[in-house]
Amino acid sequence: MKRNQWMLAGASLLLAGSLAGCASSNNTNAEAEEGNAAAGQTKLVYWSIDRHDSDFIEQKISEYEGLNPDVDIEFKVMADNYAQSVDIAFSSKQAPDILRVDTGNVPTWVKKGYLESFDEYITPEMKSRFESILINEKNTVDGKIYTLPNIGQFWRLIYNVDLFEKAGITEPPTTLAEMVEDAKKITEVGKAEGAYGLAGNFKSGSGFERIAHPITTLSKTEGQEGFNFQTGQFDFGMYKETLEALRQIVEDGSMMPGSESLDIDPLRAQFAQGKIGMYFNHSVEPSVYKTQFPTEIRWAAALPPTIDGQQNGVSQVISGSYLAMSKDSANKEAAWKFIEWMYSDDVQTAYQEGGYGVSVIPSVAAAAKAPDIAGIEYFLPTKFDGIYPATPFGATEGRLEGTKKMDVFNRYIFTGGDLDKEIQDLNTRYNAALEKAVAAGDTTVEAQPDFSAADLQGSLVIE
Amino acid sequence: MNGTKRQINAWTFVAPSLILTLIFGVYPVFWALKYMFYDYQGFGTPLFIGLDNFERLFRDKDFWHSVVNTFIYAGGKLIITIPLSFILAVVLNRALKGRQLLRAIYFMPTVISASVMAIVFYVIFNSYNGMVNQLLLGAGIISSPIDWLGAKYALLTAIIIAIWGAIGNYMLLFIAGLQNIPEDLYEAASIDGAGPLRKMWSITVPMLGPVLQMIIMLAITVSLKGYESIMVLTEGGPYGKTEVMYLYLYKLFFPVSSGGSSIQQFGYGSAVGFTTAVIVGLITLIYFYVSKKLNDIY
Repeated sequence: MKRNQWMLAGASLLLAGSLAGCASSNNTNAEAEEGNAAAGQTKLVYWSIDRHDSDFIEQKISEYEGLNPDVDIEFKVMADNYAQSVDIAFSSKQAPDILRVDTGNVPTWVKKGYLESFDEYITPEMKSRFESILINEKNTVDGKIYTLPNIGQFWRLIYNVDLFEKAGITEPPTTLAEMVEDAKKITEVGKAEGAYGLAGNFKSGSGFERIAHPITTLSKTEGQEGFNFQTGQFDFGMYKETLEALRQIVEDGSMMPGSESLDIDPLRAQFAQGKIGMYFNHSVEPSVYKTQFPTEIRWAAALPPTIDGQQNGVSQVISGSYLAMSKDSANKEAAWKFIEWMYSDDVQTAYQEGGYGVSVIPSVAAAAKAPDIAGIEYFLPTKFDGIYPATPFGATEGRLEGTKKMDVFNRYIFTGGDLDKEIQDLNTRYNAALEKAVAAGDTTVEAQPDFSAADLQGSLVIE
Repeated sequence: MNGTKRQINAWTFVAPSLILTLIFGVYPVFWALKYMFYDYQGFGTPLFIGLDNFERLFRDKDFWHSVVNTFIYAGGKLIITIPLSFILAVVLNRALKGRQLLRAIYFMPTVISASVMAIVFYVIFNSYNGMVNQLLLGAGIISSPIDWLGAKYALLTAIIIAIWGAIGNYMLLFIAGLQNIPEDLYEAASIDGAGPLRKMWSITVPMLGPVLQMIIMLAITVSLKGYESIMVLTEGGPYGKTEVMYLYLYKLFFPVSSGGSSIQQFGYGSAVGFTTAVIVGLITLIYFYVSKKLNDIY
């Protein structure tokens, strides 16, 4: 009896021990793998969030390892809850040497002490290749470089040519009024088959932004994300015309039913089935319709419409960050060599030609051929595409009190209301939050009285 | 066995779960109790701000709106789930052919993850090609698709999904309670001429008293804390119409949606966490006080 009791107690302790040990099992694996690497080899761990290009990256890693037999790179795609995974990795001293970083996370990760600056490692030649596209709080923090850009999201109005022809429309809309009218015409001829004029993935906060940002940035010159660079203040009035147009589309019954709760993938699936006349998205769409949702419909894409047909600014290109180096890395020199190679014109040209994205690096954009993917031609850089400076939007929303702008705007689009009052309230609250964010040192973005998005025209094409 | 040995044995058995509870249950509570007085976003030096987070919380209409949504969600779920699972338990506690299979079928949703459940229900309820609309349209009950996940019906849809997911679980707990009622009480009542309804009201319900009290308490706390399926289904939208307390809290610690800030708000989140815990605790206490009679009857 006594022996049994002690055996049970021992078993319980073993179980508890194994549970507690779970936390450190990765570490043990890492050590074991390190042990597996050939003697004298430097082991690098590389984390990415991108699944779509993982085959290409793995191929490039093999190539690099072939050129550098003394380096062994372990590549992991950590697609889900990436930011949390990175937080945990750094707090448990298991951080990767090289990591993919999103634009919005650069200042935060620098402040958390995760990232090593490139300044000590980057050569003047390499720096000069990127100098024209480096952006404060996207690539640099307090004047130091922490990541460099590679590809960009080029935003377009994507439309179903078959539905346009059926509705008797010959050209994609160039003004908001035309967009509203076209959506109405498409719905009139398509509704019986379940096809509607316009759709948006309004389940996510990005639903509104996917439509409003391209239209507003190409129409106006003062800023983006609601931030007016000229005054250094938030002014959501920049979205007024776009919001009114979207409200009109809902009132006309030309917005696809269910858009309020639509995700981007179900939206794409519906577009591929010919149920959507128009929607807005970026340069990843051709590869989506090639692999994820192969479609029989004829589709095309065009520059976003503007408020009055005038292209005063540039359609925002979301870009800015790609690879970063861990401050905790024990092999920074080796990690940098690999990063440098990944950013080389050769690798980045192969990346674009492989169809994984459209490069914003001028030397690559000039040399790389268009990828062999149907529809990519609509998304290649034009004079009217440009990278905006970073706004303090993320830092501000981190201090915001009350309803976020995405909920306010979505509510207006689907239920109406006093738009001027809503905009005024948003301006007051966001500017109060901005003041707090500046006081707390969350952002260093300042007013640029001379800013004009018109100056960004032509910045991504070498003529 | 002497006293010391007995103590050692007892502590040996208690220690593993106690250690894990202290690390993963108690420590985070103390952590939150500290940081609810700080301005802290997960990096830099936390700044002591006294009661500012609570002042903000009382001004925060979105939070109180989520509290109201939580009450509607939990109330709607409980009002349907408890009677329905009780009736099912009574029916499936009888000598019914195939009752084990039926019990298993009703219990099935309990073992399915809330997120998976929500994805499946998204396919069923979406307005453009969802099965519910197709069935209703086919039967001529509706003339145009209903936007089940839109502002008007999204909370109702979330309640329907919650009911579907919970009935089997509470049914099983009721069955366990029913099986503890001595059969001779029913036999004596039958001899006295009591009908099925009389037996249900005068024997089953009172004899279930303490079990019923526990089941309802469990159902209240689980419903007030539920958010997982809503997070997958609507992320709290459209524009906050399905935002519930714990989803609101979760988003402060782990921002989920693209298009918003990805900055964590540990300080304010801790204050919200403390307040939600107090709300759930108070409701549970009130329930215990009100339901004291359920315990007395037995």
